[in-house]
Amino acid sequence: MKGLRYQLKSVLHDKFCLMTFLLPVIVAAALGLAGQIDFSSLGGTLSFGVLEEGILSHTAAWLNRYGTVMVYRTPEELADAVKEPSTNLIGVETAGNGIRTMVSGDELEIYLRTADTLPVLYERRNQAAEAKVQILERPGVMAGLGDMFAAAILIVAMFMGCTFNAMNMISEKEDGVAFVNEILPMTRRQYIVQKISVGFIFGCLSAVFTACICFRFSWKNMFLMLALIVLSVFVSALVGMLIGGASEGLMTGMIDIKVVMLLFMAVPILDFILGISQPVLSAVCYLVPSQATFEGILDLSAGGGAKAVKDIGILAGHCVGWSFLYMWVSGRRSQYHKRAI
Amino acid sequence: MKGFRALLKKDVWLMAAGKFFPMSLVFLILYTLYVNFGYVRFMEEPIYQVYLYDPQGTQGDASRLLHRVDSLEEMDAALLHDANAVGIDASTGEAQLILYGRTEEIDRHRADYALSLLEPSGSERAKVIGSNTPEQKARKEITCELLFFEIAAVGFLGIAAILFKEKSMGVIRVHAVLPIQKNLFLLSKLLLFLLCDLIFALLLTLLGVGVRDAVSLLPQVLLQTALLSLIMALTGLVCALLLKDFRQFTLAYLVIAIFAATPVFLVANTAVKLDWIRFHPFYHIYMGLKNAYFEMQEANIGYYLGCLAGIAVLFAAARYMFGREMRREG
Repeated sequence: MKGLRYQLKSVLHDKFCLMTFLLPVIVAAALGLAGQIDFSSLGGTLSFGVLEEGILSHTAAWLNRYGTVMVYRTPEELADAVKEPSTNLIGVETAGNGIRTMVSGDELEIYLRTADTLPVLYERRNQAAEAKVQILERPGVMAGLGDMFAAAILIVAMFMGCTFNAMNMISEKEDGVAFVNEILPMTRRQYIVQKISVGFIFGCLSAVFTACICFRFSWKNMFLMLALIVLSVFVSALVGMLIGGASEGLMTGMIDIKVVMLLFMAVPILDFILGISQPVLSAVCYLVPSQATFEGILDLSAGGGAKAVKDIGILAGHCVGWSFLYMWVSGRRSQYHKRAI
Repeated sequence: MKGFRALLKKDVWLMAAGKFFPMSLVFLILYTLYVNFGYVRFMEEPIYQVYLYDPQGTQGDASRLLHRVDSLEEMDAALLHDANAVGIDASTGEAQLILYGRTEEIDRHRADYALSLLEPSGSERAKVIGSNTPEQKARKEITCELLFFEIAAVGFLGIAAILFKEKSMGVIRVHAVLPIQKNLFLLSKLLLFLLCDLIFALLLTLLGVGVRDAVSLLPQVLLQTALLSLIMALTGLVCALLLKDFRQFTLAYLVIAIFAATPVFLVANTAVKLDWIRFHPFYHIYMGLKNAYFEMQEANIGYYLGCLAGIAVLFAAARYMFGREMRREG
């Protein structure tokens, strides 16, 4: 307990370390303030480009039924906008009684086919649509992209414990404190508990504040979220310890952290965007702990809970697995050191 | 000149000791695999699939693009599997559309598109005015993003890691008494990182975009890479000389990664537009690199003058900080 107090004291004196933990909270607040960003434009909506004087008003109004209409003054401006690689703008011009479309040719198939078929839809616009349309609700199928960003920031907050533990251990190695630790009257277990506790406590605080800013939960879901946070931060603190133990220098340590961070962020985000439905691939994604956290957060933000309980179970499994892995690795490492001495 | 060669040799040794070269190679392999076997395959989004349940055969002229199903259950399962798909139930003789809701506009388009398949007509193809295929675009897009990310990370972090190592080894103190110009100390690092970044950019572009397409865009890509590399390496040097240790430096790195890079990536690669982004220096640098990959309009003279001015200011700042660090070290 006394050792932990010293660890916390040293952390509290390090303003930059505190800033590291505050960073996700600040980003979450910034995301909240940036509410004016229209994330809906990321969700595969259609956009059309027309010439100011080259399109009839009722044609523009008809296009508006399907998506956004952007007006350009000259054909060159319109062509540049269509060719712009970051958008999937379909250029539309009047041609006799109908319309003609133009594309850059590098768009995804959905936009190319839409551009191909748009003149036909326009021709038939006046044919009264007799067909009844039944729109079904499918809750939670596609959480908003805002939720995805918030969940990603929350994962960064949980990951801070890992970064801190790894950097802390590498700094100790570089400064020679690691050798001093070996002669201190402190068992290996005490050392591990103290180190994990620091990353764990601050990681939890950072994640809780971030979650409070980003999400609003019911009481039941709040407890589920707390369980998700506690388990995820524990795993990330253990991962940080493993990286710290394995890395020999700051450079390699930073690269290891970068790789793990990329993996932690990329797997759930790619799964979310691509909607992986293949059971084997989906199970492989769950080998990365952040996948369960991400899925759990999205489920809770959509008002669910059943899936989050399953994710909590998976994370608990991760906690046990990573603990054994850390014990095994650190046991082997200390045996190696003893032999070397 | 002899002193400069010795400095270069020392920096190469430090980079090798920090496992910089094998790490770069590993990242090059990872990125190449991701571009060729991951991203290009992920970036596929076909038009909505349309399923038709027509037990009485009332829709005889329907397009071949429609998938005929034998029961409503089969159609429900297909719609549940692919939330973008549209179902047409023609069992009563009249077409009834069934779809999972997205946005109002998209739902309207999906419904009209599905109905249009019931009466197919020889549609003409849209006019193509660009020069890239979807695969070429995907390759250029992701190679550009990875290169920007890697140079920002390697230039910024790598140079700082070396400088902090030198600080801890007391090399800066030794330099204070050596009869060598301060500029050479900075120039040797900049030159090495510039060379590494250029080689990395060359290989990544060849492996990511493909040799045939890469040849014409390489001169511009390498020019933009050189500008980005110098700016990032000098920013890394200034931050490393300003901050106490590498741990504090990682925070600056995080701030740059999150606050500086995220809005730039968002605006440059998606339809999201932010008005203030034109005041963001990274946006112009990233767009310079992206325009080089897509062979879009070349940057104007103002952009190059801005970059050169930025490099000069950063170099002057790094030189001043380095002088201050040497005086502090004694």
